[in-house]
Amino acid sequence: MSGSAPGTILHRAIFNKEGRRIVYAFVAGIILFAIGEAVRPGFASLDGIRSILVVASFVGLVAAGQTFVILIGGIDLSVPWVLNAGAILMVVSSLGTNDRAIPALALTLGMGALVGACNGAGIALLGIPAVVMTLAMNGIMQGLTLGLSGGMTCTSCGAYAPPVVQAAVHLRALGVPVVLWIWLVVIIAVSFLLGMTRFGRATYTVGNNARASHLAGVNVAVVTIVLYALSGFFSAMAGIMLVGFGGQAALGMGEPYLFQSIAAVVIGGVYILGGRGHYLGSVAGAISLTVLVSVLLAFNMPDYGRSIIYGLVILALLLLYGREEDSA
Amino acid sequence: MSASTPQTVLMASGARRSRTSHALVQNVGLVLVIGLLAACIIGYCVLFVVTQHRFPGGFELTSTLDNTMPLAFAALAQTLVVLTRGIDLSVGGVIDLTNAVAAQTLTGGPVATTLWTLAILLIGAACGLVNGVLVAVGRLQPILVTLATLSIYQGIAIRVLPQPGGAIPPGFTAVLANPNWPTSLLYIPVIGGLWAIFRRTRLGVAVFAIGNDAMAASSHGISVKRTVILAYTLGGLASACAGLFLAANATAGDATTGDTYTLTSIVAAVLGGVSLFGGRGSGLGALFGAFVTVMVVNILFFAHIDPLYQTFYEGLFLLAAVVSANMIGRAVRGRR
Repeated sequence: MSGSAPGTILHRAIFNKEGRRIVYAFVAGIILFAIGEAVRPGFASLDGIRSILVVASFVGLVAAGQTFVILIGGIDLSVPWVLNAGAILMVVSSLGTNDRAIPALALTLGMGALVGACNGAGIALLGIPAVVMTLAMNGIMQGLTLGLSGGMTCTSCGAYAPPVVQAAVHLRALGVPVVLWIWLVVIIAVSFLLGMTRFGRATYTVGNNARASHLAGVNVAVVTIVLYALSGFFSAMAGIMLVGFGGQAALGMGEPYLFQSIAAVVIGGVYILGGRGHYLGSVAGAISLTVLVSVLLAFNMPDYGRSIIYGLVILALLLLYGREEDSA
Repeated sequence: MSASTPQTVLMASGARRSRTSHALVQNVGLVLVIGLLAACIIGYCVLFVVTQHRFPGGFELTSTLDNTMPLAFAALAQTLVVLTRGIDLSVGGVIDLTNAVAAQTLTGGPVATTLWTLAILLIGAACGLVNGVLVAVGRLQPILVTLATLSIYQGIAIRVLPQPGGAIPPGFTAVLANPNWPTSLLYIPVIGGLWAIFRRTRLGVAVFAIGNDAMAASSHGISVKRTVILAYTLGGLASACAGLFLAANATAGDATTGDTYTLTSIVAAVLGGVSLFGGRGSGLGALFGAFVTVMVVNILFFAHIDPLYQTFYEGLFLLAAVVSANMIGRAVRGRR
């Protein structure tokens, strides 16, 4: 947590154990791209890489929030239905028109942040374990989403995402889909927040030792609430991008993103008990995981095989570099 | 994290506290969940009488018990692991797998059925063993290991039983989840008895010891690795029981039927007073917690709550239960 001049970042990336994990995760992604290219020529073409990165960006956005909360030793299990609620709220409040797009975006992102802040408040102020709080919140959001939309039977539920939002995912600027530019901005913003601000330092200290950072004058409750609010914000944002990608919202669209976001964060070398890790690692993890799934699809692997290999690869990566010090 | 390590509890209970108050403090979670269950049963009966104009009878008792047994075993599996300061996200995967194998193999006569039942229990134990070895010997975080193995077990389950189906022999159902007679009333005391025995075995004591302080337990001669592996293995065995009861209840198999049990087993264990920080809680509490979870669903049904809102109320109930249990627990422990 020393000063972060560009030189030291490079230095860290090569010589530090944490930095090496990020490099490993990126290398794993590149190797998988090479395997894909070998199996199906054109896999690693510019178009192929672009489309895989777009899919990875959805996991990457959720993983940004998950990184924040895992850095303080928490976890956010409310991702699936916050994301799903965000997606539905986006189409229902905008009704597919561009004029309403901006208020709808603000409403949806605000909803995500508010739900996340409730998670943080329950954990920090009421002392509820993060697993229980976010698990209950996932149920609460599921019930509200299903109930208020009448099980997706409401008249506006079938609305399409506003054309601007769809364009943000599908259109390209300088040859790169806009959603990837957005992701790049998020990557820079999150890395800046964690690496170069007071708040970032406070996050790492809380993750290392909450009591010591409290004694050192860090307001642990506020840090916790803000981090969970950010997690809710990014879940809602991923929901918006997903309706932009698919055009419409659907029930259950958030389910795959819970485990994928946790896996991405962990593969990227963020320590699950908090205090260590970088968002760049989670980005690498999100990309590697998405390439892995695409490679398995290129092999024409049936569902069950993908599920098994997915688990085995995560285990292999964990055994490679996720092991604890031997204390016993 | 928690201030009540064994040492502080021991000191606090020294001269100033009576045996009964010590027992109360130690089992405050269990007492609370029994109170919660009683409240749920009363609420359920009142709602039932109001809406159905008669008292709940044998059919309601049997179906409630039969619906609870799989969750009770899943919660027990979760408890065994959580007590060691772990968490088992693969509970749902093991239930999927054992349920799928049951649907494919339990088709013959009594002898074949019995042998396959034993084999399925072994499969569940083997799944738990893999988790335990990866956690203890592989030195990996439990949440990550079981996240990965969940995916693996789910995949194998779908390979075993691509479509829901199978025909569970009526005899098997009659023994485990007889629709006409509450067989579960026999199993619950058996589970309770087995837990009481387990709690007093070397392994049981070791599980609680490493959940409280692995380093201290290790320096007192407890093999942490062996204990963790055995706890996960027993957990896998309990998950296999859940898969079998689920198959008996549905009289068929489904390779995705167990998925929801990963999270509901955590809910039931937490309601049962099992601390997610390890070392505190009991299998009996988890058993009662499973009943509370099922009763809440029943209550919502008879209260004519729109089923779409069901998870909303379940979530609120879980939070309310945890917050009030925290406050009561703190109040009871605070009287030193």
